Amino acid sequence: MSYYFAIIGTQDNPLFEYEFGTSKQGGDGQARFSEQARHLNQFVLHSSLDIVEEVQWTNGQLYLKVIDKFFNNYISCFMTGGNVKFLLLHQPTATAAGATRNSTSVGANPTSPQTEEAIKNFFNEVYENYIKAIMSPFHKVNMEIRSPVFRQRVAAAGRKYL
Amino acid sequence: MASSKASRLGEDRRTRMDKVNAELVVLTYGTIVAQLCKDFDSDYVEVNKQLDKMGYNIGMRLIEDYLAKSNTVRRCSSFRETAEMIAKVGFKIFLNITPAITNWTSDGKQFSLVFDENPFADFVELPDDGRAQDELWYSNIMCGVLRGALEMVQMQVEAHFVSDVLRGNDTTEMRISLIRYIDDELPPEDD
Amino acid sequence: MAHFGPGKTASSKEQAGLRYPSNGKTIYHRPLHRTKTAELSQASFAYLFSEMVSYAQRRVTGIQELEKRLNIQGHPIGLKLLDLLLTREPPRSQTRPLTIIALLHFIKINLWTHLFGRQADRLEKSSNPDTPDEYMIIDNEPLVNAYISVPREMSQLNCAAYVAGIVEGVCDGAAFPARVTAHSVGGKEEGEMWPGKTVFLVKFQPEVLEREALFGKG
Repeated sequence: MSYYFAIIGTQDNPLFEYEFGTSKQGGDGQARFSEQARHLNQFVLHSSLDIVEEVQWTNGQLYLKVIDKFFNNYISCFMTGGNVKFLLLHQPTATAAGATRNSTSVGANPTSPQTEEAIKNFFNEVYENYIKAIMSPFHKVNMEIRSPVFRQRVAAAGRKYL
Repeated sequence: MASSKASRLGEDRRTRMDKVNAELVVLTYGTIVAQLCKDFDSDYVEVNKQLDKMGYNIGMRLIEDYLAKSNTVRRCSSFRETAEMIAKVGFKIFLNITPAITNWTSDGKQFSLVFDENPFADFVELPDDGRAQDELWYSNIMCGVLRGALEMVQMQVEAHFVSDVLRGNDTTEMRISLIRYIDDELPPEDD
Repeated sequence: MAHFGPGKTASSKEQAGLRYPSNGKTIYHRPLHRTKTAELSQASFAYLFSEMVSYAQRRVTGIQELEKRLNIQGHPIGLKLLDLLLTREPPRSQTRPLTIIALLHFIKINLWTHLFGRQADRLEKSSNPDTPDEYMIIDNEPLVNAYISVPREMSQLNCAAYVAGIVEGVCDGAAFPARVTAHSVGGKEEGEMWPGKTVFLVKFQPEVLEREALFGKG
């Protein structure tokens, strides 16, 4: 299972990107995207923004769950109060998806309640750290988040829940 | 013991006053510093000066408030006692913190205030521009406040920060030096 | 897509520009949820605020420009508080405001309570059919009384302009772009009862009303 996480600003500008792999079921936390998939990931994520715009005004939850699917890529979304989007692209590895179709493990089934819950926890933890970042008086809207500590925190949340 | 008496005095006075949410104060200070950085085009040396100046204005007015609220009518008998009152009553009343007093010089004219906590710095990360951490003293307004307040009670002091956790230092420390007592002289002329 | 630089991967822009204390403590280590609201003396706020006003006064000409400037200084605070206050809600009520009414309630209840320890007194919609985009947040006894130690030369309106900026920041952040201005109406309406009564007039951009009509939740 590989993940591509991005924070998208209110002008659809990327504020933060991070890719990682699952740490569950003995995963080593490394993303297994091919170079080609990597380019595609950004495209897929970005094209789901249109759907976010539709959903965001009918669902007031912060966590909007899986909002889009492109072949084997699932996009989960979390909207902050300030309308910044957290998008997580998750791509179950072909073998995992095939071999354990009924598995409830986070890696295998992108839309199972367990996976939804795990992603929710991941988003919530990122949200808390995101708020700390934007609280700084020097932070301006749509400013890129470059703090290495923030990146470590996102990585830790990924390891913990995904 | 004088110092624990000062602590109790600080606690006492503080609880007697009307309160506001600390976050409103902290965010307001943050917006002031950010605005100065913008107005002076990230000339942090100038921002430090402006903060000190604002603090000085505040200090000159705040001292009356302090005297009223702490019921201190008596003059401090020594600069050491002044330091105690600043740390344990002044800071307690206005910022609800009690910095530690350390590093006295042998002549008793210089000491440091070490801030374990600093409400102004709550949620602050200095700009990552390669300069702010070397040039900006984020909480510099405090130096001006001390300078202004003490001047009103006939003490000319110099105060500046020597370290700040926001800069990556392990402590936040302000150095205060007594320059002279100004009571025996003619009142300063208006400028 | 244009904003995503090709081949720009996650690790390529990790640059540890800032230094941190050796104990590693950063803003990310501070808890966001405070067990108890920390408080400071009103005087601290009053001194800071009046110094902010007199600094601003030296850089502008006229009261309107001053108020504009104070509004601008309040704006980023509104943006920050929107997310901070939302995350402090119990999980069940952590919802983004989707309608004007939900947004105004958030301001009247959450924002006001956070800033002033109590709710705003009233919300009203403009009764003028020509201005359906105008709403009012009414505070009978604002700031002036709350921050008594603010020096007299600092008029009530200055403080309210700052608060209007905070409110505007909340609206803009929540994607309800609006212009918010403060108006002193004491004495005009309820006589001597509320001499400090202030109306925060929220004028939403046309797109907000269009969206509201579209999603049918007026």
